[in-house]
Amino acid sequence: MHNRRSFMKLGAGMAAGAMMPMVASAKCGDEPTQWDSEHEVIIIGSGFAGLAAAVEAMRKGAKDVVVFEKMGVYGGNSTLNAGQACFAGTELQKKLGIKDSAELMVKDQLKSGRGIASETLLRHSAELGPYIYQMTKDCGCVYRDHIITTGGTSATRSHQVVERSGSGFIRPMLDTARKMGVKTHIRHKFEHLIRDAKGRVIGIKVRKGYHFGHEDSGEVISVKANRGVIIATGGFGYNINFRMAQDPTLTSEVGCTNAKGATGDGLIEMLAAGATPVHLAHIQSGPWASPDEGGFGYGAGFSLYNFPHSIAIDRNTGQRFMNEIADRKTRADLELQRRDQDGNPNPALLIAPKHEAKKDPSMHNVLKYNVAWEFDSVEAIAKHFNVPLAPLKQQIADWNGFVENGEDTQFGKRMDAGRGIKLTAPFIVQRLWPKVHYCQGGIQINTKAEVLAAKTGKPIPGLYAAGEVTGGIHGVSRLGGCSTPECMAFGVTAARSIMEA
Amino acid sequence: MKSTVTLFAATLALTLSFGAAAQNKRDYHMDVYDAGCKTCHDQGMKRFPSDEACLQCHSMDEVAKQTERHGEVARQNPHDSMHYGKEAPCQECHGEHTAKKALCQECHNFDYPKFK
Repeated sequence: MHNRRSFMKLGAGMAAGAMMPMVASAKCGDEPTQWDSEHEVIIIGSGFAGLAAAVEAMRKGAKDVVVFEKMGVYGGNSTLNAGQACFAGTELQKKLGIKDSAELMVKDQLKSGRGIASETLLRHSAELGPYIYQMTKDCGCVYRDHIITTGGTSATRSHQVVERSGSGFIRPMLDTARKMGVKTHIRHKFEHLIRDAKGRVIGIKVRKGYHFGHEDSGEVISVKANRGVIIATGGFGYNINFRMAQDPTLTSEVGCTNAKGATGDGLIEMLAAGATPVHLAHIQSGPWASPDEGGFGYGAGFSLYNFPHSIAIDRNTGQRFMNEIADRKTRADLELQRRDQDGNPNPALLIAPKHEAKKDPSMHNVLKYNVAWEFDSVEAIAKHFNVPLAPLKQQIADWNGFVENGEDTQFGKRMDAGRGIKLTAPFIVQRLWPKVHYCQGGIQINTKAEVLAAKTGKPIPGLYAAGEVTGGIHGVSRLGGCSTPECMAFGVTAARSIMEA
Repeated sequence: MKSTVTLFAATLALTLSFGAAAQNKRDYHMDVYDAGCKTCHDQGMKRFPSDEACLQCHSMDEVAKQTERHGEVARQNPHDSMHYGKEAPCQECHGEHTAKKALCQECHNFDYPKFK
């Protein structure tokens, strides 16, 4: 079979070589002698950053905006998340009696960033929050009345769309962009930047008719960008070689929540063009993931809702081992240490009270699809998961004492997040095992979303980036619900910059 | 010269075996196979069929109706899903000559008993 494949490839290559005239110049990066098409603004990627950029460019008077998506479907990784976005100081927060501010949000993020986050970029993003909140509503996104407490936050601020999925942002934004006149294309894989003699980005080479996993599929065309190019291609969580080069602990054993297209192509091409890499080794795993389904699935939504009023238990000890609403890195690192005597993964148990869990639609889904299970008693949990009964009983009693006293003397969890909810039978139990979720690292941008060159520290003319492909904003660990508004904020910023340039 | 002959022979063998495999896949596509490979391979034999190729005979509305689900699971309809609406191209989930699994199943333990 190997020989046949080689023959086939050879045959195809020979035929293509014979049939296709050499239109574009041979060396990548050089100006082609002929453009296949041209647009005012080229956006690569159709996630939060790309679509926010598209809508904002049209708002700023663009006439010809195109979005190229590599995959067969729109929305990239963005359409697969839990549909949450942290905004500080909204009407909904006020209605629910939550005091918050952009300043406090930045402070929380800086803490989780462990000293290496970018205060300037975080503040820029947080201050655009109210605009983004309104923009998503203008596009037709609908928020729930319940705001989620994500880990590491000093105020409850993660607003969630009714779909409880990023698709609740993506679908309305895609529709809105198209209604405004944005052209959108699937199966167009970004291959190279095209720069003129002065180094300005003037277009791209894109593989039209691309099918993921078939790198030779389709044909490469040259597309001119009259104003500039916005790269919004997302992270590299699914590129196991590349991520292991940065962090060797992130083997395939860790799994990944991302869409399979999150392979870092845009990042790698910008690095080749001389952009500044930042924090590539800081790759975050989601502590709410379940090993009992693929990708992001339903488990993440269930545990996100329930972490504030539930406990996570080590199966060997029957005891808690973390603050269940600590930041993501703290929790993921601790969860990965749950092992059996041979060192094999022994995922922790999230134990939630059904009387509260049932208030969120996620419970029905995790039970139906075997991502979580219901138990009538502590004894039943202990028996099923082989957990020592006495310590588990004691732990639950202790926990309910913390709820009563409003203080977690064991791990210092912020007890107001649990709203006085006690852990009583029946219980819903989900297993927890982290999956690679988000790349804090990427290429460096400034508050204009301009891509900065490593050689000079100055912007590469005509090149803008937004979203997970950029790096250094969040530092060591990003807080939950803080990427969505940041992706959109820098998408908007890139569009403004490109229209003002 | 000899290698060229081998190359042609191998390509021919591959084409024939593809043809045979294709015809074993779906009985209801017999008419399509009879009409010739180019019926679907509208962009040439070395390329994937276009995303419109299947839509010569099928429509998204029609297949969405066939896989309709109701109530809370309505948006698990693979042809009209929460994530992708009616926009997921056929080849994202279906392979005529290769076994594939539904895109939704990469993350969800959904059961699509009639999936082919």
